[in-house]
Amino acid sequence: MSNGTITGAATMASQPHRRSHANLRNIAILTVVALLIVGVGPYVLPTYMVNSLIRAFLYAAVALTVDVLWGYTGILTFGQSAFFGIGAYAAGLVFTHLGFTPGYATLSFFGAVFAAMLAAAIVGWLAFYHGASPLYGSVITLVLPIVVSQILYSGGNFTGSSSGLSGFESFDISIETWFWIAGAFLVLLTAGAWIFVRSDAGKILIAIRDNEQRCEYLGINVSRVKILLLVVCAAIAGIAGYAFAGVQMVVAPEYAGFVFGTELLIWVALGGRGTLIGPVLGTLVLDVSTSYLSGNLPYVWKLIIGVAFVVVIVALPGGLMPLAIASWRRLLRRGRAVDAETTVLVPAEEEPFAGLQGGGQHALTLTEVSKHFGSLKVLEGIAFQAQRGELLSLVGPNGAGKTTLMRCIADGDERSRGSILINDHDIQRLPPYSCVAFGVGRKFQTANVFDSLTVAQALRIARTRLKRPSFWQRAPTLELPQAALQVIAATGLDQHLDLEARHLAHGQKQALELAMVLALEPSVLLLDEPTAGLTKPERTRIGGILVDLATAHRLCILLVEHDLDFVREISSRVIVLHQGKIVLDGTVSEVVESELVRSIYSGAVLPSASAA
Amino acid sequence: MSQLLDILTTAAILYAVAAGLLIVFGVMKIINFAHGGFLTVGGYSALAVTKLGIDPWFALAFAFVIGFVCGMIIERLVVRPLYSRPLDAILATWGLGIIIGQVITLAFGREVQFVQSPVTGAVGLLGASYSEYRLILVVIAVVLAVALGLILNGTRLGLVTRAVIMNEDLARGLGINSGLVRFATFSLGAGLASLAGALITPLSSVDPNMGVPWLVNAFMLVMVSGVSLVSLAFACLVLGGAQVLVSTYGNPILGGLTIVVLAALVLRFRAQGFARD
Amino acid sequence: MSANALEVTGLSSGYGEALVVRDIALVVKPGEIFSLLGKNGMGKSTLLKTLMGYLPIKSGSVRVFDRDITGQPPHRVARQAIAYSPQEKALFQDLTVEDNLRLGLRDDAQFDPGLDRIGKVFNFLPTRLKQRAGTLSGGEQKMLLVARALMSEPKIMLIDEISEGLQPSVIDRLAGVLRAERDRAGTAILLIEQNVKFALSVADRYAVLKMGEIMDRGDVGEPDAESRIAAQLSV
Repeated sequence: MSNGTITGAATMASQPHRRSHANLRNIAILTVVALLIVGVGPYVLPTYMVNSLIRAFLYAAVALTVDVLWGYTGILTFGQSAFFGIGAYAAGLVFTHLGFTPGYATLSFFGAVFAAMLAAAIVGWLAFYHGASPLYGSVITLVLPIVVSQILYSGGNFTGSSSGLSGFESFDISIETWFWIAGAFLVLLTAGAWIFVRSDAGKILIAIRDNEQRCEYLGINVSRVKILLLVVCAAIAGIAGYAFAGVQMVVAPEYAGFVFGTELLIWVALGGRGTLIGPVLGTLVLDVSTSYLSGNLPYVWKLIIGVAFVVVIVALPGGLMPLAIASWRRLLRRGRAVDAETTVLVPAEEEPFAGLQGGGQHALTLTEVSKHFGSLKVLEGIAFQAQRGELLSLVGPNGAGKTTLMRCIADGDERSRGSILINDHDIQRLPPYSCVAFGVGRKFQTANVFDSLTVAQALRIARTRLKRPSFWQRAPTLELPQAALQVIAATGLDQHLDLEARHLAHGQKQALELAMVLALEPSVLLLDEPTAGLTKPERTRIGGILVDLATAHRLCILLVEHDLDFVREISSRVIVLHQGKIVLDGTVSEVVESELVRSIYSGAVLPSASAA
Repeated sequence: MSQLLDILTTAAILYAVAAGLLIVFGVMKIINFAHGGFLTVGGYSALAVTKLGIDPWFALAFAFVIGFVCGMIIERLVVRPLYSRPLDAILATWGLGIIIGQVITLAFGREVQFVQSPVTGAVGLLGASYSEYRLILVVIAVVLAVALGLILNGTRLGLVTRAVIMNEDLARGLGINSGLVRFATFSLGAGLASLAGALITPLSSVDPNMGVPWLVNAFMLVMVSGVSLVSLAFACLVLGGAQVLVSTYGNPILGGLTIVVLAALVLRFRAQGFARD
Repeated sequence: MSANALEVTGLSSGYGEALVVRDIALVVKPGEIFSLLGKNGMGKSTLLKTLMGYLPIKSGSVRVFDRDITGQPPHRVARQAIAYSPQEKALFQDLTVEDNLRLGLRDDAQFDPGLDRIGKVFNFLPTRLKQRAGTLSGGEQKMLLVARALMSEPKIMLIDEISEGLQPSVIDRLAGVLRAERDRAGTAILLIEQNVKFALSVADRYAVLKMGEIMDRGDVGEPDAESRIAAQLSV
């Protein structure tokens, strides 16, 4: 496909744009309908039900934040109850000790939000540092509610200890009004979350859930995204807690506790994680049923919930919502709704890289780079320079340190000693997303993509660093640099822009990852066996593209490759690694003719071998 | 003096409670949140035995067997399908804990009950008088630690288990049925939890949620110990000791937080915790 | 003993959707050493892992002494008197030499006779039983690996790049050990190798694997064997 057709397609962009607006309009209609239902609720429902639902609305708002964190972003959190508790106590403490005035009500509202956000920032700093394991993050979210509730227990008369605070003065609002406030809060929150998770920015959450490592190597500061998300979710839970204290006029340590935190998870899991509506409905149904049924059969009901939870986790990890949707569709005899909309690719305006203008600069400079694992030396004294336009192949037997060297260039924390400069920027100890900003793009050995994102969405994630995505809508066009467009066109990926990556063939996944890395507009491209597992024609095509990237697009390409025929065909220079050291650095013919290389490669000298 | 004994006995109790969780985590790489439920099972096993007027010492063996059998059933039905989903395994085993708690509530009622202690009274030790049962617990914990150490390091079964912990794929290639090792380990872990539940009940009381606070502490101790029983003993002494000191000089409720908070901080700055690299 | 020790027919497998080995057919007879040659990344190790049941088989079958073991899990495969020596992470580094050798056996009763036999071949081993395997030198670790495989007197040995990173004297020694075991017990050995010289000095037959497919095969004794292999493997 020529560039002309791609650009020409941009004029067709108006139709998908309308589709995006149609989506927003549908959400608006649903929101209005939901608000109307909330509006008539108090007139048709019995008082006890109205009371139960107010509480359930507020719980559902917290469950919604659990779903965004766990269902969408993959952070298993036990801790949202703590923020709810903090919000509730902010109201309870102020109203009990200072009394209720509009001024104090406002003060405690902002106190609730601020305290919850502060706690979230501290927890986020602890839980989501660069390189933290997901289990550790969950451990911290479990510690938080325990700490908060124990502090409340130990607060004596100030916090009311185990009996909590009650009987404080609160808003003089009728129960119907509370129903409307809590209901509208939940409906608007759900609509907002719905718009957000479907927006371009919302896809970053799914990208993090699918593949955190790939995100970091696409220049996304995952820790910061997670911390910000947690802070926002904490604020929402804090507001819900504040409202809860306002309407119930009672707060107790249990509302900040770990058991309530797990209860939120149960509601989300049963409703269907990653569906937003599922957790909201799950919470409403389960909490209201609990308030009706727990009087008659208290323990049996909880037992049933426990059994249902275990069964869902083991046998139906998606929860009940997807099941309900599927049967609804079958009932209406409708096919799968198409969530993805057509995206049009357009060429991006590429800024010439800073490194080009200065002149005389090196794309890559390694000085005395070493890597040790304990006493085992994997790399020792690696030093070389590479310029833009070079296609430099790294070869050597298993365990020579090729992949380790790639890792060291793309992540400042990997090497044990030595310095690495990318376009004359010292990478110091900086994490991968900072190295990306200096111009490095790394493609992993096995295709490393986002399974549940479409091709277009994945490519847009790769553009996050250069173009801030919208938080409320999906852009109809996607700007990509020529190099990425070329890979996409040459491998037929442009025919599958709306296909989720897990459905792609292996070779297309490899191509997608390459296109994602190129979308970063890197000047130094690290490729670890990009042709592994590909068929011969696919290898040839990728080889041609790589040569073109180096010559036409002036990229500095570092290629790790086992297939020496392939290396010989495309490289402009070859470095041979053996046992962690550079044994040869020269042209293809120098390497091919080297007796030393041949003996290293075959383990011993091959008597009659000739470079056929 | 009595403070030193407090530290020692607290560490011993924590060790007994956490050992089963650690073994399961080591072999299966999953966190068994039903561990608290198994502790409760042990507590109520002891209650049932003593109510029938049987010697309280017998309760320990009974609790172990009941826990072991529960573990066997649960491993097959719930844990096995979740091998490849470790975070879901946490949730599912937490759900199991709820189920166990509710079944116990239905069977025994939700009120707090007291279990007869096998020994009562205090002994004079270096001029101070100290609870005899707590001292016996130290002996039991040491016996337990030695027994686990001997099984792991002195028997073929232990060797096979260590092989699975270190490199499950390699072990399988040498003809070791790692599924069976996992099954046995989970059952043993459940048995040990139940035994620990029976051990701690004479110190306090039983109620259907008695396992939860223990679960959280045991979980944090295992997190900082890696998969080493030696590190676990060390962690129990250090963090358990800190808990005793904070409770004595600070406030008992904050003392209850000590292990959780210290363990979280240790892990933040040293990902492998108290374990060797 | 007319049955083939190992018979692989039409075997394809790989990781996820990617096929790494395609349509492999090979036969190893009792008492025969078969060498599978190929460069890095050509699917040699993947083939062994598939035979051992670590990777799902996409198509084809594996038979051991006329018994179909297709789709069996690794521990079942290993119990067909098959000793598998992987290329990487092949030893329990933190266990002692003795424990590593014990793990080569199904039960401890055969340990003493086994050690007697092994000790005659690798005489450093009996004196180093209490040493941690990870503290042995590279060559000693490879010898321990072979020793562990020999402990159980297997009928079939699957060996992945045993010569990698070893000095010629050690390689010669291992070649002698493997040949002696074959002569003594009639063991069938499938040897995955990059080191052509070593492979040709040990094996009876060979095949060359390239991009997951067998490109050439023959008898080691044929006069043009070396040049044919060289042509396939050339840089």
